[in-house]
Amino acid sequence: MTEKKTALYEEHIKLKAKMVSFGGWLMPVQYEGIIKEHNFTRESAGLFDVSHMGELYIKGKDSLKFLESLVPQKISDLRQGRALYCQLTNDDGGIEDDMIVYNSFGIIEEADYLVVVNASRIEDDFSFIKNKSRNFDVEIINKSDEFSMLALQGPKAKYIIEKMGIEIKEQPEFFSFKKANLNNIPVFLMRSGYTGEDGFELLFKNEFASVLWTKTLSYEEVVPVGLGARDTLRLEAALPLYGHELNEYTTPVESSLGFFIPKDKKEDYSGKNIILSQKLKQTPLRRKLFAFMMEDKVIAREGYEVFLNNKSIGKVTSGAPSPTLGKNIGFCMIEFVGLDNELVSKLNNIEESIGICIQIMVRNKLYNAKIVKKPFIKKKYDK
Amino acid sequence: MNIPDGILCSKTHEWVLEEGNLVSVGLTDWAVEQLGDIVFVELPEVNSKFSKDEVFATIESVKAASEIYMPVAGEVVEVNENLINSPELINEDPFSSWLVKIKSEDFQQDSQGLLEYTDYRDEVQ
Repeated sequence: MTEKKTALYEEHIKLKAKMVSFGGWLMPVQYEGIIKEHNFTRESAGLFDVSHMGELYIKGKDSLKFLESLVPQKISDLRQGRALYCQLTNDDGGIEDDMIVYNSFGIIEEADYLVVVNASRIEDDFSFIKNKSRNFDVEIINKSDEFSMLALQGPKAKYIIEKMGIEIKEQPEFFSFKKANLNNIPVFLMRSGYTGEDGFELLFKNEFASVLWTKTLSYEEVVPVGLGARDTLRLEAALPLYGHELNEYTTPVESSLGFFIPKDKKEDYSGKNIILSQKLKQTPLRRKLFAFMMEDKVIAREGYEVFLNNKSIGKVTSGAPSPTLGKNIGFCMIEFVGLDNELVSKLNNIEESIGICIQIMVRNKLYNAKIVKKPFIKKKYDK
Repeated sequence: MNIPDGILCSKTHEWVLEEGNLVSVGLTDWAVEQLGDIVFVELPEVNSKFSKDEVFATIESVKAASEIYMPVAGEVVEVNENLINSPELINEDPFSSWLVKIKSEDFQQDSQGLLEYTDYRDEVQ
């Protein structure tokens, strides 16, 4: 299969980026070095090409009712111009994808709701959603090929956006978005990101990609950042990545996203029975996602086996060195089936689970790690 | 970066340099560039023996762990302890950052399939 290229492919090549295959796309993994890009984003600002992300438009008389049926979150509480982190769940409560839903009534003419989904899931999500829409008066359009997206992340991001024409007091609040002109280029300006920093995501037509990319990089406070640092940044902020922490067999509660599940949503949605009864602690969890930090110096990578008292209890889902902390960190999924009740009840209690010692098998040797509180670093959202 | 005379490279991106009766083994500049920031090095114990093409070390970049193969058979007589605390030295100068020094069993024989540096660069580019 040939990989797809974003509208900024030539720009990445010009900057001598190392390109890799990611979710069917040829994407920059790094420009000058992952650690440098990571630290620059935390201290100043980083610019990411995230054009591979997908955009779906949902419009029609039943658009609200339809979206309510797709996700555990309460879309009816989502005001115009606001965004919400949601999971697209299946009938078993598993996660088909995680996504951000924007209430775009009055902002985007052709969409009541804009849904931004993961690159690798665009086609699957589109057909999944389309299939579910049969009994609703609603239209779903895949706009992914028309749009490019940039993420500008870091403490200096708001000053850059100001220099590009939007005063700080005019900038959207956290998890809000608005139509804006940046250097006379029409964009949807969103206050969100995937790094744990304050920052923005800019959605705009492909034709403006090179101009906007080049203009934003012309400020000395900004460097281009590849997928390598995007991964270490999101991991430090303990943000899950689909296909690693999240999958179609594991519910949002088991994926430690219980915080995002309302207990009192009236409308039915796919997998509601199991998700809600897990949330209300009426049904035991089959497994659960935990954040860990290595005590020993080694790096635990995805797929490595996790042990407790010499018994295999799960696997690492993501692992990397944390440039900010100078420690090796990660997520692991612990399987509860076959564990004794006392341990399961300890793992089910967030406070009690912190500090539990686990071991991770690295190249046939066991190394010590500890379950820790999420996130690994303090998030710096401008709320 | 200084490329020592007489260096030979393997297709799996290790370099060897015969110095007296010892052979230094390291990672090529090309491999290091591909890996990016090196953050962890796991080296073998002194006196351990490896056959040709056997994994003897692991190098981790931010993104991934890579196994390093022994280009010529031999016994480890020295490991570069500096790299344990400062793995970034490999990024700074791959050819002075040897990983191990070994006593080779049959350097003439084992090094036959290895390439001169210029031929190696030609091959990987």
